[in-house]
This record gives sequence, C-alpha cells and structure tokens, in this order.
Amino acid sequence: MQIRFAGIGGQGVVLAGVVLGEAAAIEGLNVLQTQDYSSASRGGHSIADVIISNEPIYDVMVTRADVLVALHQLGYDTVKESLKEDGLLIVETDLVKPDRPYVGAPFTRIAEGTTGLALTVNMVALGYFVAKTGVVKKESVEEAIRRRVPEGTEEINIKAFRAGFEEGKK
Amino acid sequence: MIIRGDEPEQVRLIKKLYKPGNYFMQGDEAVSYGAIFAGCRFYAGYPITPASEIAEAMARELPKVSGYYLQMEDEIGSIAAVVGASWTGLKSMTATSGPGFSLMQENLGYAVMTETPLVLVDVQRSGPSTGQATKGAQGDFFQARWGTHGDHPIIAVSPTSGQDAFWETIRAFNIAERLRTPVVILFDGVLAHTREFVRIPDIGEVEITYRKLPKNEEEARLPFGDPHGDGVPPMPLFGHGYFTHVTGSTHKENGLRDVYTPEVHDRLVRRIHRKIEQNRHVYEKYEEHFTEDAEILVVSWGVTARPSLGAVLRAREEGIKAGLFVPKTVHPFPGERMRELGKRVRAILVPEMNLGQMILEVERYVNDDVLLKGVNRIGGVPLTVEEILREIRGVA
Repeated sequence: MQIRFAGIGGQGVVLAGVVLGEAAAIEGLNVLQTQDYSSASRGGHSIADVIISNEPIYDVMVTRADVLVALHQLGYDTVKESLKEDGLLIVETDLVKPDRPYVGAPFTRIAEGTTGLALTVNMVALGYFVAKTGVVKKESVEEAIRRRVPEGTEEINIKAFRAGFEEGKK
Repeated sequence: MIIRGDEPEQVRLIKKLYKPGNYFMQGDEAVSYGAIFAGCRFYAGYPITPASEIAEAMARELPKVSGYYLQMEDEIGSIAAVVGASWTGLKSMTATSGPGFSLMQENLGYAVMTETPLVLVDVQRSGPSTGQATKGAQGDFFQARWGTHGDHPIIAVSPTSGQDAFWETIRAFNIAERLRTPVVILFDGVLAHTREFVRIPDIGEVEITYRKLPKNEEEARLPFGDPHGDGVPPMPLFGHGYFTHVTGSTHKENGLRDVYTPEVHDRLVRRIHRKIEQNRHVYEKYEEHFTEDAEILVVSWGVTARPSLGAVLRAREEGIKAGLFVPKTVHPFPGERMRELGKRVRAILVPEMNLGQMILEVERYVNDDVLLKGVNRIGGVPLTVEEILREIRGVA
C-alpha cells in the first residue's frame, strides 16, 4: 500500500509518516518512508510518503498513492494527481476543499478540543487513517508514537491519536 | 592519545551503546552508525541539506565513544580539519553535498597528494549550483572523479540502500586505511532521507582495518616511499616522536619539498597511481543479477540500482532475458568486468538520475555493435520500476 500525507510545514506531516512507518516496521512488514518539503522552514508544502508491503520494495517513492491524507490545500494541490482513481482521499475538512469524493473531519478542531494543541493535528489524522484502513494495528502505532515523539509528549500525542481513531470509527 | 575503534575498551563501549537489531532509520543515520562502527572518531563539517543528518548524528554519537565533533566555518575548513585529525591517528570523516563538495575539491587533492586516509561523503543533490537544494540526484559522478585538479587517482563507492549505506561506509573506511588514501562515498539525497529497516550488527561481525604504521625509525623516515612494494607507505603519526613533513607540494620519499626535479614529481605521482591500480582487489566490488544469460543488460548505480532491479525482475516475469550490473565501487570503474559482460549482450541500458554520466564509462568498454542507451531523469524525482521496465520492453 502506498500512502501519502500532504500538508504544509509546521503540521507535523513528516512525523505522521515516520510514526506510521515505524508501526509497520514493528509489525515486521517491509516499509519505506520518504519525505519532500520546500526549502522554507514553515509554510511551504510538506509531503510524507510511506510504502508498506509484504513484498520487497523496489520503488523509492510513491508512484500511485492508494491513500492520500491531505491536511492543507497547498499540500493537496501539490500532489492530488498522484492519488489513484479509486484511491481513498482523507482530508482536514476545514482546510481542504477537494475536487473529488473524500472522507474526513475537522482534524485541527478535534486536536484543539482533545489536547488543547492544534499541532497534534498530525496524530488525529493518523488515528483517523488507521481506523479507516486498518493497514497497521492501533497498538503498533501507539508503540511507535512512544518511540518517536519528544520525551514528555507521549501521552498527549497518544490521546490525539485515539481521538482521531474514534472519529474514523464513527 | 589515539582512539582506535578496534581497541578492546572501544569495542566494549560500542557493544553497550548499540544493541544489535533492526532499526527504522534514515540513510544518513545508517552512514553515521557505519562510520562509528568502522572506528571513525573525528568528524568536522558544515551543515548542508541533505547531508545535515549525518552531522547531527555524529555530533550526538561521537562524544559517547570518546570521539570529536567539530563544527567548522565552511566546507574548506571542514576537510582541512579532517586531514589534520587523520595525521594524529584518528579515523576521520566529513559529509557534504553539491556546492559543499565543490568547495572541498582543493583539499581533497591535498589528501590525495599527502596520502591521507579519510572518508568524504557527498550526498548528491540536484544541481548545478544551488539547483533544487532539497532534492536528490546522481550528478556528481565525474565531480568525484575529476573535481580536483591534476593527475590523481580516486576511489569512490556508492550505496544502494540504507542497509548498504551502513556496510559501504565501513568498507570506505577500510579502503582508506588500507591504501592510505581518501575515499568518496557517492550517496544521494533520496536514500539519505529515506527511512527503512537497517540491521545494526554486533561489532564482532564487523571487520575493521587500521593503517600501516612504521615498524622502525628507518620506515618512519620515508613516509612517502614504498618499503613494502605495495605502493602504500607506512604512516608516521603526529605526536609519535617522528620528524615528519607533510606537504601538498611535490615531495621526495622523505617528505621534503622538491618542486623542480621532474623525476621526483614523476616518481611520486606515478607511485600514487600505481598504489591504486595494483590494489584493485582491495576495493573493486560490483553486484550482478541474471547476467549469465542476459541479452539486455541494465547497468545502474546508487539509488537507481534499486528500481532497476525491480524492473529486471518484472522483465524476467514477462520472459525478457534482462540482467543487472551494479558497480558498488564506481571509481575506478570495474571496466574489465564491464567489457566481458558487454561482449555477451545485445543492448545495454544505463538508468541514472542525471543526463548521462556513468554511461560514458560504460561506453569506454563496450563495442559499437551493442545498442547503448541512457535512461535519464533530472528534477529531483527518482526513476521508477515502471519507467525502467518500459525502456527494457522497448529494446526487447
């Protein structure tokens, strides 16, 4: 499965990709994770790619995404063409106005409501994605979060992830 | 005090710090851990995308193993510091990219001329000039070979994955030490930033080489001679009580300058070349897949070798007799093997993330009756399995 997260710098898009990749690695799946960002430190587009497979992975980039998780219009516009025709589009509904069928929720508002921090939007979106696709187990992601987020922020990130997961299960 | 990575105390430290196992890490980190395992204990550098993660990892890890990290004012100073540190006996490294690699060329030549073992990682990014600073490329193939001026040999290796980057970095250090020469690692911005599984082994599984030291006063007096006939002089380290003169100017076997006598220059520069030529077994390395019966040969290197292998496997599934040749040491190019393979095939494709660089080396070794075609991509996006497969089908 080829998964692409797209947003803008500052939304934690790359960390979402890294956590998902680590979760797949924990489950012993083949996984490759890359990112692409503009040279601006904030505000430019930010893309994280994750390829998860039972087979060896030979491509070093997402060629045709099965899932696109878009957190911002700029990121969406940059990579929307790469989503397969029958691919799954997940969007931050306050910040992205897609031109094709989609699912999603106001992830940033959910983040603020759950943790008081808009910057946990990445974990909310990740939770929603995991609920919708089941590509990795919830527990693996929580373990990956513990390994990857800054020390002391594990619980708050897991809380945001669970809120997104619940939203995705609705 | 010299700190060698293979000292028992260092080995114990490594075992304690780095538990063997699979880690999800970036290519740049794999290079860094490879360097630590190889015994690198000095790093000087100047941050640059996409090589900065190497600097970050070395700054974090080196102090834990009694090593030194030095942030320099620029790339010229970085490689100069690495040369100096190497003469004190520390295995030393720097890492940079594109414009930084250009700045390092003068002192890379100094390292060749003074026969200083060091490892220089060039994480290739899309140029020329500032180009696409955050994007990967394979455009420095010949900058590694001919970037510094004058007649000089160079050794360059090029990893094809994160795991490979770990082992190739160790190999680069071993070659540098064994032949008392700088070694370039031609890495790239794609693999540098790609995270995947990398198995960190037990340090006991890692073979580490250390440079030849003079056995006696007599050997120490000839730091640029050839007492053993292998072209590699023992290296008298600074601080070991020897009077050693090190200069980038033409020098005699004893290290003293002589920039006027043609024979002295001829003898020195030819020996430095011979040292690399006659020790091909130390560094030559390539991988082959399905070359026994291949009619179409894909020749690729670095990051592009991976989608190339995917494409060859797919072609085989379709009944096309395709094979893959991957030089792992790209300089000196494995020309003899290329020549042999070139005689057996009908067509050769050379996919690379540039407008055609390694293909020029391939061309030197194959006859005109073989169809030779580049598969070239620039713009910072890697070639895909599908794109390379399409080219294979096109010549099948």
